[in-house]
Amino acid sequence: MAKSFRLEIIATDRVFFSGECSHLVVTTIDGMLGILAGHEPLVTTLPTGELKYMVDGKWKYAAISGGFIEVMPDKSIILADSCELPEEIDIKRAEEARERAEEQMRQKQSIKDYYLTQAALNRAMNRLKVSQKHFK
Amino acid sequence: MPNIREIRERIDSIKQILKITNAMYLMSSSKLKKARKAFDSTSPYFDALQTTIQDILVHTPHTRQVYFNRRENIPPEKRKKGYIIITSDKGLCGSYNHNIIRYAEDEIAKVPDIKNCYLFVMGQVGRMHFASRNRSGDKPSVDGEFLYTMQNPTVYRAMEVAQTVLSKFEADELDEVYLIYTDMEKNGTYQPKTVQLLPFVRIHWVEGADGTKKKLPKASFLPSPEKVMESLIPNYTKGLIYGAMVEAFCSEQQARMTAMDSATTSAKDMIKDLSLLYNRARQSAITQEITEVVSGANGLQEN
Repeated sequence: MAKSFRLEIIATDRVFFSGECSHLVVTTIDGMLGILAGHEPLVTTLPTGELKYMVDGKWKYAAISGGFIEVMPDKSIILADSCELPEEIDIKRAEEARERAEEQMRQKQSIKDYYLTQAALNRAMNRLKVSQKHFK
Repeated sequence: MPNIREIRERIDSIKQILKITNAMYLMSSSKLKKARKAFDSTSPYFDALQTTIQDILVHTPHTRQVYFNRRENIPPEKRKKGYIIITSDKGLCGSYNHNIIRYAEDEIAKVPDIKNCYLFVMGQVGRMHFASRNRSGDKPSVDGEFLYTMQNPTVYRAMEVAQTVLSKFEADELDEVYLIYTDMEKNGTYQPKTVQLLPFVRIHWVEGADGTKKKLPKASFLPSPEKVMESLIPNYTKGLIYGAMVEAFCSEQQARMTAMDSATTSAKDMIKDLSLLYNRARQSAITQEITEVVSGANGLQEN
């Protein structure tokens, strides 16, 4: 049994996960980052991406959009805008969001709007990817 | 002697109002339930966000990041201050709007030069108030394009608000940003509150839900403190604004429910008093009629 550490994943609308976890892999700006028990204190931001954590020897996956992680000796906290399990993702809604965003990207819009749409597209694509990968 | 018809009309009109206030009471209590649910599910995030940021800032090395720039070379009277004020969209919620607006005006009065004061008002009532005050004399300027509703707060709306003020801060259009909202206490009371958003001052942190202060070892920032702060601070600002919106919305519903409840009660009291008056007037009218009939009959007999 690998050593475990306390992990809390809190989304804006709920406490997504709170408990012991032995291995955590997050997507950061620079790429994937694995965290085991006893990791050095660390703060980094999480863009929209995938997240996996091991509980009782089983990998669990989640789609996360925008947030940050704070790794401390006693526990790790992830604060995110939203966090969903693959089976919770509404594929239809995500697909609609993707189409809407793609349509908006074709329009001429201001830089601010462009970034907002890009972020929306990112979130939709991420949801679809995570759900297709882990939930069949 | 009050007119019977007048009293009856009055009772009828109060009954109509009673129906409205009662319906509004029911509606706001169901809305409150929803707002409470949102508040309860957001408050772990809100509390954790504040404690975590506090923790992170303890370990943040000196940084040249733009949001930490306190611009101390600008004298206090020239500093441009921005206030985000959260009010409600509708009236009829007791002293809720009155309290927050009066509190905000007190805060604004502290600003040395009123021309350097910029208001970002959320909610129709506050916007109308500050816009109409704006026309006479030296008053703070209200951002006219800042139009956001207060109904059912969303993260997306909070993000837009956060981006508006952050980009103004970056462009030197604002030197300090404050957030004024109604804070919901755990026991159901509410009161106005100010939180400084920008620039980041490390000693000014609100304590978290548990109120503990821990000494933690230094953390490393990946890829660099500046990069992390660049995305972390907008995220935090957004989270804070969202939390404030949820709390304010919940307080608003609570205030409306209380106000409508007391309006319903006092309408019922008034109806009770008026029906007593009505019955008395009716009775005395009947008594008078009988007296008239009897005295008329007596008069006939005497003849």
